[in-house]
Amino acid sequence: MKRWQMIKLGLILAMYTIVGCVGLAFVYNSTSKTIAQRQEADLQAGLREVFPKATGFTPTDTVKSTNPTIVFDAAYTANGPSGSLGIAVKVHGPSYGGPTTLIVGVSIDGTITGVKVLENKDTPGLGANAASPTYYVDKASKTTFPGQFAGKKLTDGFVVKKDVIAITSATITSRSITNLVQAVGKAASEVLGTGISSPSPSSQDPSAVLPSVDTVRTSSKPATSSVPGISILETSVGTKAGTIVGASAKAKAKNYDGEVTVLVGVSTDGTILGVQILECTDSQGSPILAPEFAQQFAGKKAGAPLEVGTNIDAASGTTSSSRGATALVKATADALVKALAGGGL
Amino acid sequence: MKRLFGVFVNGLIIENPLFIIMIGLCSAMAVTTTVANGIGMGVALTFVLVMSELIISLFRNLIPESIRMPIFLIVIAAFTTIMDLEMKAYFPVLSKSMGVFIPLVVVNCIVMGRVEAFSSKQPVLDAVFDGLGMGIGYTWVLIAISVVRELLGNGTLLGRQIMPSSFAPMIFFILPPGGFLVFALWMAASNDLRRRLLAGRKPEPTQDSCCTLPDNSSAEKA
Repeated sequence: MKRWQMIKLGLILAMYTIVGCVGLAFVYNSTSKTIAQRQEADLQAGLREVFPKATGFTPTDTVKSTNPTIVFDAAYTANGPSGSLGIAVKVHGPSYGGPTTLIVGVSIDGTITGVKVLENKDTPGLGANAASPTYYVDKASKTTFPGQFAGKKLTDGFVVKKDVIAITSATITSRSITNLVQAVGKAASEVLGTGISSPSPSSQDPSAVLPSVDTVRTSSKPATSSVPGISILETSVGTKAGTIVGASAKAKAKNYDGEVTVLVGVSTDGTILGVQILECTDSQGSPILAPEFAQQFAGKKAGAPLEVGTNIDAASGTTSSSRGATALVKATADALVKALAGGGL
Repeated sequence: MKRLFGVFVNGLIIENPLFIIMIGLCSAMAVTTTVANGIGMGVALTFVLVMSELIISLFRNLIPESIRMPIFLIVIAAFTTIMDLEMKAYFPVLSKSMGVFIPLVVVNCIVMGRVEAFSSKQPVLDAVFDGLGMGIGYTWVLIAISVVRELLGNGTLLGRQIMPSSFAPMIFFILPPGGFLVFALWMAASNDLRRRLLAGRKPEPTQDSCCTLPDNSSAEKA
């Protein structure tokens, strides 16, 4: 009889649940239209805020996100009186307490026109300050956290706590918003043809990781890595007075949830001469772009193990990205050592 | 009528959910940084509380004892979601500034506590008046706290500048420690008032816990 009692209770509970659901369905039906309208109005207001001078916005689907966790919900071309002013993108990506949605405007000259936080679910009083119009990261000039991006050039640095002022006690929020802004900036600049996708010429130059060589030329035989998933893009050789003293390679691999590109220079005796992290599209990965992270590799032996936590310090908050980048550096250095030993470069 | 009035007034001071029963404190701390938030949260909770108490009191004889908790939760969650959707549709700014605390009304102990201790055993009218009293008791405390916090911490009231521009806002009051301090001071004041109110009617037993409530209110009836 106990079983019947349980089934009876289950049925009673189910009745209450069904009645509750039907009630909710009615309320949802009557409010969903209004909510959608509000969100649309919010979006329009946000677009106006990042492009105050625009006369209208035309949806475009040319802007694509390269990172699967950063989603471009919609992109618009801002139309001015005389042609396009730039691109505004509604973007969402992961943050501390759930997805954060922003509108980011990028002008045709490669500057960020403005950032507006549409939705942020982070801790009230801390991360949620990103959306607060009265929380200033710079009290003197009354600059809000998203406000500091306005006018920033895409060629400028985007490292939180260095180039971007973080929200107090909300570094993760600050970083994820900065990443979203940077991702939109990069994607939009490719479409706009402002050609800022490569950070700056000097940091791409192999001589930056091959100090004390006098000529750098492209290798006649590219280095190859035996580690799966790593592609070596360019191999260069550094010579001093005619003899090869080192080699460098640009390599790319999948990382935590995006991709990382590094430039590694190795001397003929197997010492890592220099490393640059050129690009990282991980959602929380921007701290590894800081020179402090890359500098740790210089002077280390390519043959020795390189491990985050033992002889490499992770960039703060991005252990996974740091690990991936370290593994890539190690594999690239090994490939270079092998190539140098094999000769014929 | 007098009995219903007694039930209603009970929640304001004598058995204030925040100051005496001491439940539902975390939302009270979190949203009271501005007066608008305080009012919004208070109204939202009052709505959910009154509707849940009404429905549960209405069906109190049809709710089996052993599964009463999940049923209470379904009712409370349904009304909270209704509230959340309505606020998103008609008060988007308020809904945004209170963020996650509106959906969290579901797990606010005040609602669950009153439903379990009161409306599941009392007639419908009593339950509605208890919900109103408790809700308003919660709301006035939120407003009292947030007035102090917004005025001293931001120099404004309901977003309007009150303090002279030379006044430097004391961020301390916006941060959690300031919230606790303001809360404690209001609690001291309210409890002093309560002691004086109770001094008038001596035979009344102390009503310090939510769990003793059903007995007390039946005593009140007698």
